[in-house]
Amino acid sequence: MRPPVSTAERSTARAHAIELRDITKSFGHIQALRGATLQIRAGEVLAVVGDNGAGKSTLMKALSGNVVPTSGEIVIDGASAEIASVADAQRRGIFTVYQDLAQAPDLSALENVFLGREQLLGGIGRRIGLLARGEMRRRAEQALDDLGVTIPSVSRPVRDLSGGQRQAVAIARAVMWATTAVVMDEPTAALGARQTAIVYDTIKATAARGLAVVVVSHDIPNIVSLADRIAIMRHGRVLVTLESEKTNVDEVLRLMLGAEVTQ
Amino acid sequence: MNSVRELAALGDVDPRVAAAAQQTALGRTVRSTTLWVAVALLAIILLFGALSDGVFLRADNISDMAVNSVIAVILAVGATFILGAGLLDLSIGSSLLLCSIVSAKVTTALAGSAEEVAAGVYPNLALGIAGGVAAGIACGALLGAVNGLIVTRLKLNSFIVTLATMGIFNGIALIVTNGVNVPNVPQQLQTDFAGSKLAGIPLPVFLAAIVAAAMWFVLTKTRFGMRTLAIGSSEEAARRANVPVDRHIVSLFVLMGVLAGIAGIVDLARFGTTNLEGHQTDALAAFAATVIGGTSLFGGRASVGGAVLGALIPVVLATGLVILDVVSFYQLVVVGVILILAVWLDQLRRSRFN
Repeated sequence: MRPPVSTAERSTARAHAIELRDITKSFGHIQALRGATLQIRAGEVLAVVGDNGAGKSTLMKALSGNVVPTSGEIVIDGASAEIASVADAQRRGIFTVYQDLAQAPDLSALENVFLGREQLLGGIGRRIGLLARGEMRRRAEQALDDLGVTIPSVSRPVRDLSGGQRQAVAIARAVMWATTAVVMDEPTAALGARQTAIVYDTIKATAARGLAVVVVSHDIPNIVSLADRIAIMRHGRVLVTLESEKTNVDEVLRLMLGAEVTQ
Repeated sequence: MNSVRELAALGDVDPRVAAAAQQTALGRTVRSTTLWVAVALLAIILLFGALSDGVFLRADNISDMAVNSVIAVILAVGATFILGAGLLDLSIGSSLLLCSIVSAKVTTALAGSAEEVAAGVYPNLALGIAGGVAAGIACGALLGAVNGLIVTRLKLNSFIVTLATMGIFNGIALIVTNGVNVPNVPQQLQTDFAGSKLAGIPLPVFLAAIVAAAMWFVLTKTRFGMRTLAIGSSEEAARRANVPVDRHIVSLFVLMGVLAGIAGIVDLARFGTTNLEGHQTDALAAFAATVIGGTSLFGGRASVGGAVLGALIPVVLATGLVILDVVSFYQLVVVGVILILAVWLDQLRRSRFN
């Protein structure tokens, strides 16, 4: 893998800070979130970990617009931001890479990257919806290149790519459009070790571009070394957020499973 | 992009992926269904040419076959978009019929008074034909919109919806005509359009060629075409990418309806009358042609060129068999076998990577 290109040159992201404040969410009688608070910094990889039912996925869905919180506030750059839909989140520059990737397998990587945001030619071409394929190809190749991703061809159907490559294409799509944060739900759940490594490289390159990357993962040993900070959730709250340099896998697991915070 | 070999050396590429990437353009062409359909069609044509001592290959026979294929080609090209989006439209034969009736009725109503038209006199012929063409196309758009709105608003499977509207449109066609074909359609439609040639090529063939070329362009070069295949490949992915999927599906059915309307006008012009009994199997033939031409039965992958070739095969077979004095019913058997082969090939290709 090539190292990512210096972010100063190509980064389109401005540094945005996101804060989830006291988020609650009830589904009928079940309280999935009981006042979760989380700060997310630009340019960092923030891992969100916790046992099943701790509320990780629900908290991420609140950020990506797939779930509307019962109460609480989402603050972006100090201003309250209402995120009631995926479209709202995307307008705020927050894009999600879904666990099942949400790709069209028969379409090429470049078409998947641009689906719903196709670039059109100018003039009459725009009116009849003529695709600017050359420009789209150039930008898709650039985006993959910036993330250090190498795939056989951006013109081949993503069906033909390996799992890690497909995940990398999905991340490239999010990075291309995100200006604030990329949210990833279990990005390596279905992948082997080698493919996981590809995806982790891509995640680091994404953060290096100035975007906040929030990763939900069960892969504790790897995520502790990948992330800058680790938010540990339990019973619908964020128990504690640790700097990864000042903690270790054992401590994270103990906190996840019920130990008290000693720091 | 870096070479695949370099990547494969690093060991992080699935060998099947590396193999796929190393396919040359030639390799991919050899694997394309469209090419094989073209080869098969050419072989059939040459075989008939040889067996018939060249009669089959005479210009007038080629021209006749082209004209006989026009309606099938127009419908198959539309079916390519519908199937490419993972949808079906079984109502296109009934739509064609109903629109040809609407077109005929509007034409005869506008072309002159009832007495004049009954006597074969059309004082307002141009108005009548212009009105008839507009009405036929509008009818198709309307029927397509009905299909599309039922599919998207009621969230019903397009197979069932169009199975139902096939019966409904056919029923309406029989109701408005009392089961009798519309009489007194101006002969000029036959003489000046259907039977007329430009540079030796029949006008309807020009029409079909323009329709096919335009639809090929839309499928391969425009956002509309790309989103059509995206919906067929993964409707969920398209929705998450904020593609207005429901609106797109309605547009696809309207497009199919308009093409059925145009085909209805061609049908009217060719035979000088409506054809109440003649379109029961049009939809099945159109989707068969589309699948034979390489469009995936499951959507996501489509070929307009393949659909055109697929639509030509039954006409070529039927004509050749007639010339050879063989009962042309064998055509049905052969087309059925080809259809099964085409679907089987599609399935093999899908299972290779999954």
